[in-house]
Amino acid sequence: MALNLEKLSSVLQNFVSGTADVQGAALVTPDGLPLTSTLPSGMDEERVSAMSAAMLSLGERIGSELARGSIDRIFVEGDKGYGILTSCTEDAVFLVLADKAAKQGVLMLEIKRSLAELKLLLA
Amino acid sequence: MEIMRLVVTGPVGAGKSTFIRSVSEIEVVDTDRRATDEVADMKHKTTVALDFGRLQFGPQHALHLYGTPGQARFDFMWDILIRRAHAYILLVAAHRPHEFRYARRMLMFMEQRTQVPLLLGMTHCDLPGAWAEDNLMLALGYVPGRPRPPVMVVNANDRTSVAQAIIALVQHSMAQQGSFIP
Repeated sequence: MALNLEKLSSVLQNFVSGTADVQGAALVTPDGLPLTSTLPSGMDEERVSAMSAAMLSLGERIGSELARGSIDRIFVEGDKGYGILTSCTEDAVFLVLADKAAKQGVLMLEIKRSLAELKLLLA
Repeated sequence: MEIMRLVVTGPVGAGKSTFIRSVSEIEVVDTDRRATDEVADMKHKTTVALDFGRLQFGPQHALHLYGTPGQARFDFMWDILIRRAHAYILLVAAHRPHEFRYARRMLMFMEQRTQVPLLLGMTHCDLPGAWAEDNLMLALGYVPGRPRPPVMVVNANDRTSVAQAIIALVQHSMAQQGSFIP
């Protein structure tokens, strides 16, 4: 079955517009190519995708090589906000960009919820 | 212990990961992912962050080998790695002339960020359609009169060949800098 990109991108759009303080989200392939994204203006989709893939692959490598087990998420915390990477399926990586004001608990729950939706669509 | 950081770069499929695997004495840290772009026609997996290998060089010296991804979308990794390099090798597949222009762009990218010694490694020279050294150098922009970095034919699968390239680069680096660590 062909990928339903329209549905994938509407899940992303709903997530970004429906979750407080979320600024953007992207779904990319593990080798760093964009599938679909809703990003703040000025952010290049291709670059964001490549960075997401590189970061997740290094994180997973730390998980296996430094015996941290399988990786749930990579969490980048800056003074302006968060970047959160989660492996979605073996074909997709999910990136979320959130403002510093975002409540982490809400963010994690919403990510979990969106991941479930995305996984269904990617299956 | 003195550590020399050596970056291995070049277009996709030039043999960067293989190069590092051939000489590293530790199990190489790789970040291979299944390729879904046009690379998939050439090989199944592609590096998305870096490769890391290590080679002891006498009791007091060690080489840390860093391999870059080949695709330009990962140029932030090129930037991160090249800025801390003590020397670098650019591998070019001699039988894929359509990639020479891209290799030249990579060279420019590196040269804008570093002045450390460079060695050009020609790979896949045993395959039909492989270009001769002089023509390849011309294609990479080394016109007569322009100073050329050392060039070598490298078989990335062959430990001896890779070791020779590394030794040549270390020697070139020593000649240029007058010490092991530039």
